[in-house]
Amino acid sequence: MRRLDFLQSDRFVGLLFIAPFVVTAVLFMVYPIVEAIRMAFFSYNPLRPDLIFYVGLANFEYIFSDPLFWSSFAQGTIWTLLSILFQTVFGVGIALLLHRKLFGMAIFRGLLLFPYIVPTVVIALIWRWIFNPEIGVINYSLQSVGLISEPIYWLSTPTMAMASTIMLNVWKYTPFVVICVLARLQAVPLELYDAAKVDGAGAFRRFLDVTLPQLREVLIVVIVFRTVWTFNKFEEIYLLTKGGPGTSTFNLAVYSFEQSMASLRLGVGAATGVVMMVMLMVGSVLYLRVAGFGTEEK
Amino acid sequence: MTNKDTTKTRPLIDRRGFLGGAAAVGIGAQSLFTGGGASAQSSKTGTIRVWGEPGPYGGAGVAAMNEWAQKNAPGLKFEIETIPWDGVYVKLMTDLAARRPPSLISVESPIAMQLMAEGLLLPVDDMVDKIGRDRLVDGVKWDFWGSWKGKQYVIPAHHQPHLLLVRTDIVNELGLKDPDTWDWNDLLNAAKTITQKKQNMAGFCMALGRNLCTDYHFAALLHAAGGRMFDTSNKFEVAFDSPETVEALTFVKELLPYMPKGAVEYSFLQVVDAHVTGQTAMSFYWGRTLGRAAEEAKPIFEATEAFNHARNPRTQRRSNWNDFQGWCVPAQNNPYIEEVKQALLYQQTSKEWLVKYCHSLMPNVAPTYKDVANSAELRNHPFYKSKPKTVETYYTGSLPNSSSTANELLMGANPLSGYVHGRSILAQTVQKVVIDNQTPQQAAKWGARELEAIRRENIRLLG
Amino acid sequence: MNADSLWLTTKKISLYVLLCLVTFAVCFPLIWALSTSLKPKSEIFATPPTLIPQTTTFENYEALLSGRQQYYQSGEGKQEIGPSPAQFFTRWFVNSVIVTLGSTLISIVVSTLAAYSVTRFRYWGRSAIPYFSLLGYMVPSIIFVFPLFLMMVRLELTDNLLSLVFGYVCITLPFCMWLMWAFMRSIPIEIEEAALIDGASRYQVFADVVLPTALPGIIAASIFSMIVSWNDYLFGRVFINSLDNLTLTVGVMLFFEGTHVDWGLLMAASVLMTVPMAILFMALQRHLVAGFGAGAVKG
Repeated sequence: MRRLDFLQSDRFVGLLFIAPFVVTAVLFMVYPIVEAIRMAFFSYNPLRPDLIFYVGLANFEYIFSDPLFWSSFAQGTIWTLLSILFQTVFGVGIALLLHRKLFGMAIFRGLLLFPYIVPTVVIALIWRWIFNPEIGVINYSLQSVGLISEPIYWLSTPTMAMASTIMLNVWKYTPFVVICVLARLQAVPLELYDAAKVDGAGAFRRFLDVTLPQLREVLIVVIVFRTVWTFNKFEEIYLLTKGGPGTSTFNLAVYSFEQSMASLRLGVGAATGVVMMVMLMVGSVLYLRVAGFGTEEK
Repeated sequence: MTNKDTTKTRPLIDRRGFLGGAAAVGIGAQSLFTGGGASAQSSKTGTIRVWGEPGPYGGAGVAAMNEWAQKNAPGLKFEIETIPWDGVYVKLMTDLAARRPPSLISVESPIAMQLMAEGLLLPVDDMVDKIGRDRLVDGVKWDFWGSWKGKQYVIPAHHQPHLLLVRTDIVNELGLKDPDTWDWNDLLNAAKTITQKKQNMAGFCMALGRNLCTDYHFAALLHAAGGRMFDTSNKFEVAFDSPETVEALTFVKELLPYMPKGAVEYSFLQVVDAHVTGQTAMSFYWGRTLGRAAEEAKPIFEATEAFNHARNPRTQRRSNWNDFQGWCVPAQNNPYIEEVKQALLYQQTSKEWLVKYCHSLMPNVAPTYKDVANSAELRNHPFYKSKPKTVETYYTGSLPNSSSTANELLMGANPLSGYVHGRSILAQTVQKVVIDNQTPQQAAKWGARELEAIRRENIRLLG
Repeated sequence: MNADSLWLTTKKISLYVLLCLVTFAVCFPLIWALSTSLKPKSEIFATPPTLIPQTTTFENYEALLSGRQQYYQSGEGKQEIGPSPAQFFTRWFVNSVIVTLGSTLISIVVSTLAAYSVTRFRYWGRSAIPYFSLLGYMVPSIIFVFPLFLMMVRLELTDNLLSLVFGYVCITLPFCMWLMWAFMRSIPIEIEEAALIDGASRYQVFADVVLPTALPGIIAASIFSMIVSWNDYLFGRVFINSLDNLTLTVGVMLFFEGTHVDWGLLMAASVLMTVPMAILFMALQRHLVAGFGAGAVKG
């Protein structure tokens, strides 16, 4: 084949274009993950990089016998499930609200999707300000309306701190659910509603019989996806409570971080990361099954 | 190793002016350099990073060093890098693991000793001699700051105890006797009375969050009860699971109802806030509270005095916690070792600079050298004039009761305390009692297990 | 007829009211932050708290943008406390911009090229790449942080903004890839084929025909990538050491860990931090929604 032809042939250009991706992915995706798995089998004190040594499964033994690991796991699960529940309920509700042809809807849509783009740091700090027990506006309002007689300590008890982190998570990520549901709602054929109206169904009935089944697919996808993500979230908890009070709002990501940074045990942190990845695999398989990708081209 | 040449000009000369810029430049420093005239010159350029806690004293120290640099190493500039209160260990990990340590660190003794035992610091015995081995104030030894296996690794920057801060106006109003005579029962009783009789005011406040401040606050109570974490005379065996620990934990539990509700989340900042905003009548803290009060709440400043901690009724101890803050020099990956040593010597041998250092945060920063402590210049400060007794208590009155986790009950250096604080073990132990409602016995057992893990993992340091 | 239209109007009005209430509740944190940032110190702590400041002051914004230093009064006059966070604000802002733009540029270029390649050519493994990307997308950043940190240590790149650029590529590339793939897939190849027959080279076809058509996808992916990079805290915390090189998110948290919490200043910083994202978002809202519709959703 002539050289010029080869250079411009399909294959070459294709490979040329994919090359940067392959290089970047190997360097910044594959390598870190492989390294994270490898580190899980070593003892690594970051202050003493000269003292790394192989410990086999000791790190895993450590975390599986650590009560803090299990309570982090349980707390993380509760946090995730409750967050998803509220995100879904509010998400669908808001999407329904927005799915109308009213004047100015675009503005409302924009404003309601705002929370997603706010940096977590910002919302955590604002949260701490408005939920400050003594000088925050929330306690002041609640007290002046008479709903509470004493200031609520939003971040000082395990239950309230968990509630606060859930609230923050719901606030920040409900827009996602809204977007997905809204997109799907806009594709629902109006004839279905008309038919239901003709049959005499009221608004609520129409919601149950027409809207919900149409949303079923997208909701399942959204829920599975969001569950997987929320479970592994770090900043939303850490920046608000640092995992406290005590360790009552720890989840696995915070646990991993603390083991690496504060306890200076990078190996243990990595082992936790491996556990998280395994759970992620499980979640991904679930997602792929549910979204119907499993059987197609591999 | 890239060292940044900051093009941003920082008004260091102005800072010196602010501090009362005297023409007299540490006379003592001149005599250091051989020849009494030609000073050592360095032609290096760059920025020398110096770590310090949030607070003006780091800057005051660095100002002295920059004065040295102007004369002897004009291409160099010392710059303070603040370590946030709750980020000490994160910063340690990232900077040291990244092999980019600062060239000089100002830090309290547990951390200094951890670095020392890990072999990360430069021995500085030659500097001790030049500063004056006998120059220390009474009641302290060079070891308290950091010496290991016969070598000194840390130069005293200052000492800073936390004491019992009391709103004397409230105490007098309620007829509670002189806090200087109090024992633990009196303190508890005072806290209770104040909480009951004064609206919207808690009797007492200390830090109870999972952080360094709680560790430091609790350590004082632990030591007052005679308890310890490790037994330095017996191969550093863990001695934490003891009746003394239980006693200290029980005391905290008893005080809890009389503390602000949010105390379980409190760290350094919040305890100061609580006192300065009048939320609490008493607190454990360093001198910084008085400085803030002077700035923001004059009446509270006027009414607050510092006392040695209440006596433990059984042991009669009035232990406080003392930071024994020191300067230490990272030995590896440090391109400016010589310059740092000389600049530090310059600051340490200049009475004038040391007085400015202490004045930068009254009465938090206490002098460590006799000539400074006894000088008239030191006493020439409004705080000294308005609150002599409190200042003296911080400076000298606290020393006989000083203790630190790095040197428990002053019975010997312990390099493991840095790891203990990194994981907030003491704070977590306290939290098991005040948040998780475990019994003090259970909490002490948990703490002991954690300490054993630290000992096991770092046994190499103890050999 | 009258009753019906009355009912409809009431429904409309109550809907609006509901919408307004919900929107207000959702936007309240930001509204309150804005309000606080415009109040003078005396009013911030005043009771009852006011939504609209009685006295508006721009001193907080001024402090941040001009780099005001923090002073501490101590007997003999003012003394500098040491580096004050407000001094670094503009510097941190610039850092964030650099890092965000840098990582987005790399991610977009790499993923667009790769998406085109995967959808237009045939070679072994090409169909696995998007799914592989998706999988990588789902790995939480906490797992990436420390190995990448150690890599940066070895490359002597710590405390360097470049390390953050690489770190952010790591977390934005997967989704950009997935999104561009979805977009490229939906672009019909007939036009390209026609251009090829006319004698254009593959590269010309790519540049002149495909890229313009893929623009919405590129914009969506860019926005997503920029948002993720701008908002990150974890990587910035671990990779960067010195005050000068911090990004905005990490630096602003420093405000909080300092000696003194100045709420007004902090809220002003929060507002300034959110503004670029808000502008981006508002201007390109359509593209964002379209982009998410086409691909998976990240949280």
